[in-house]
Amino acid sequence: MQIYDLKKYKQLFKEYTEVRVQENRNISISVLNGDVLSNTRSSESGVSARVYKGGVWGFSSNPTISDETVQTVINAATENALYLNDRVRKNKDPLPGYPGQAEHDFTTKKPRLSQKQLITFLKDVDNYILQKYPDLSARTTMLRLLDMEKQFINSEDSHSLSIVPRSIIITSLSLLKDNQPFELYEVFGGFGQFEDVFEKPEDLYEKIDEQYEHLKKKAEGVYAQAGIHECILGPELAGILSHEAIGHTVEADIVMGGSVAADHLGKQVASPLITMTDFAHHAHGVLCPVPVFVDDEGTKAEDAVLIKDGVLKTFMHNKESARHFGVEPTGNARAYQYSDEPIIRMRNTAIIPGKDKLEDMIASIEDGFYLMQASNGQADSTSEFMFGIVKGYEIKNGKLGKGIKDTTISGIAFDMLNTISMVSDDMSWSCGGMCGKKQLIPVGMGGPAVKCKVKIGGK
Amino acid sequence: MQTDRELVAYCIDKMKRVGAEKAQCYLKHSKKHELNVEAGEMTLLRTNFDTSIILKAIIEDKRGDIKINKKDTPSIDAAVEQVIEFAQSSYPDKANDIAEKQSPKEFTAGPESPDMDLMYDKLAEFIDYVHKTYPKTMLEQAIMDFTQTNIIIQNSNGVDFAGNRGVYSFGMMFTSKEGEKASSFNHSGFDAKSLDKPLKDYSTIDMLLKQSSESIHTRSFPGKIEGDVVITPDCLSSFVYYISNMLSDYMMISGSSPYKDKLNEKIASEILTLHANPRSPEIAKNYFFTLDGYEAQNMTIIDKGVLKSFLLSQNGANKTGKPRALNSGGCYVMEPGKTSYEDMISSIDKGILLCRFSGGNPSDNGDFSGVAKNSFLIENGRVSTPLNETMIAGNLIELLKNIKGISQERINYGSAIYPWLHVKDVTISGK
Repeated sequence: MQIYDLKKYKQLFKEYTEVRVQENRNISISVLNGDVLSNTRSSESGVSARVYKGGVWGFSSNPTISDETVQTVINAATENALYLNDRVRKNKDPLPGYPGQAEHDFTTKKPRLSQKQLITFLKDVDNYILQKYPDLSARTTMLRLLDMEKQFINSEDSHSLSIVPRSIIITSLSLLKDNQPFELYEVFGGFGQFEDVFEKPEDLYEKIDEQYEHLKKKAEGVYAQAGIHECILGPELAGILSHEAIGHTVEADIVMGGSVAADHLGKQVASPLITMTDFAHHAHGVLCPVPVFVDDEGTKAEDAVLIKDGVLKTFMHNKESARHFGVEPTGNARAYQYSDEPIIRMRNTAIIPGKDKLEDMIASIEDGFYLMQASNGQADSTSEFMFGIVKGYEIKNGKLGKGIKDTTISGIAFDMLNTISMVSDDMSWSCGGMCGKKQLIPVGMGGPAVKCKVKIGGK
Repeated sequence: MQTDRELVAYCIDKMKRVGAEKAQCYLKHSKKHELNVEAGEMTLLRTNFDTSIILKAIIEDKRGDIKINKKDTPSIDAAVEQVIEFAQSSYPDKANDIAEKQSPKEFTAGPESPDMDLMYDKLAEFIDYVHKTYPKTMLEQAIMDFTQTNIIIQNSNGVDFAGNRGVYSFGMMFTSKEGEKASSFNHSGFDAKSLDKPLKDYSTIDMLLKQSSESIHTRSFPGKIEGDVVITPDCLSSFVYYISNMLSDYMMISGSSPYKDKLNEKIASEILTLHANPRSPEIAKNYFFTLDGYEAQNMTIIDKGVLKSFLLSQNGANKTGKPRALNSGGCYVMEPGKTSYEDMISSIDKGILLCRFSGGNPSDNGDFSGVAKNSFLIENGRVSTPLNETMIAGNLIELLKNIKGISQERINYGSAIYPWLHVKDVTISGK
């Protein structure tokens, strides 16, 4: 990591100013049916400045990092802020600061693997699938590596330096049954560089075997009957529920834009069994998938307890929304690329585990579904959500039954949360999530399994 | 200081000299001026400069790709070294190739720079219009930008294209609220070469704002039927996207596309004709050449219901043995039909006007299901109550065959042109 002396540019600041130098490094390799379909590395770096004046922001960025360009982006951001301030005239005071300082380098201490070794790792996984499951109609193995490296200062005493890596392998298997294609994916890995996350291809095989068995049952499975059903949402779905259906509605910018959550603060919005937190960097003493110590406005990052025992406690804030609501920010302002301005984002959002055992939860349902994996999810300012379901089973008389084909679930989150009657005593994180609110950004989503009533779509 | 054209030529030459048998370089400069609105107020002015260089090298049928955003010689030289290492590290595939030589061309469209004061004034006028005309509606976010891009692509076969484009883009997301009741959020936008009318008059912006303000008090669809659905131009883009995925590289190469053997066969109602027209003057956000080095040409994907082209890149075509598409997709233009929107609605006894679809990704076999957002009940030939908690389900392949009507009216978004589409036999279910 090349360290830049950003403090020397403070003398150029005329208004409240932030300067960020950032590099995102990506590696992407895809092997489709044994052929290397993509073999790509990208690196995007540069410097940006953001300036606050009277209630508006100016921003500028440049891919070249030099004394000259740092000065150029500071001047351009200042000019942009002054231009907008002259026209808009909000006359707001400077924002209060909550300066944080942190340095965290999470890169591996092990020798780095070459591109050849990475490709060979994927080819070994692909070959295992080919040899063991020749009946598959298609197989894909993908590697996605991302290192985000940031250096930051602002007009206050904030400064931070961080390298946060993520390493993910995705396997996708396809099967033809009665001439109809069925597909199922699995995600491996998460926080850390490849060498710290993956040791040998064989470590993936047990989960791939399970993936194949789930796919077979899905292909032989049934369509879920449309209607409202008692369901167990597995940890992955509880994580998406936390993020999409609840998390977005309580981001302060969405609240100010008309989210129904604006009227629910301090009210019971969920079963008393539900506590939900957006963790900054550690959850229960363990490092989270996307640790944030100082956010991209320079605010020290703290956990945001969003729902406590079913009551909506707070929203997620940047400095400006925190001032609007009269609270302190918790460090949720994040930017994806050097050329992006920070906006309010989740970090590691999770429902806290309860006291029930998953097997007891399944046993308690006479006729319902165990929903395990989603393809995608979307939510609304009304808290109405939709998740595509790609892996799940019927529950009949307290036991898992046939697999189900792809379907969709939906509902009003703040209604559905009140139907939760059991929460499992374990939790897991989904570590491959990317949130797409204006800019893409890595997020962590986690949770236990929850028992609830939810609407299943379909024929 | 070398010109961009010289820089690209340097990259090709350097890759060849250090071992690439085939080489391609793509260089893009972009300059973006962007005004942001949050919660109904102007909040941010951004000016971003960016550079993107993508190097592609093929050695003994093995391919590597590198993308960087620096154009200084040490960065270029390091990237060339890496792309060669990547190609050498990979596995051979006969499908890896670069485009054949074509006549060198330079293309230009749109203005070179923005009128910032005009951008500001148009946006301020629009904020004021929304505030006064739709007092219950909040502009959650709006972005008005002007982006100038300059692209050069060359390869070792002699391909040499340059394209320069300036375009204004506007996108907005909004919600209406009354007391504790809120509408679903909705969004619209457009791309244009100039800003010569109020923003509200572009694409469906005013129509959707009006719908939003009337959609605060909603009800669920009564019961469950196999019924008629009118898909609006805003919503149609989701369905065209799903269909285009089925015709594109990944699903075609993996063999999971239901259309893989259907070229020149009837796959849709004969009233459906769909083009991808990146060179059409009607499309403001156009492009001139593909990422694999071919000059883009307008093409027809579905002609009167018959599949006329896949959306395969050079690599996809080589892998599948099927014809390469004449462009990279997008810029979709659906031909208008013979029915007026009014007649279309009045022909329906019971169904829905589907304005936005929030659904799971369709299965490989085309099955889809999801929530009908911002949508309305159609009863006795009239659009009536706004809906909530209403789901639809169907099959994309069947949907194309079940088109009953296409409207005469169309909306030009600057990136696509779509009509209203009347389809039958979709499962609609309420709470």
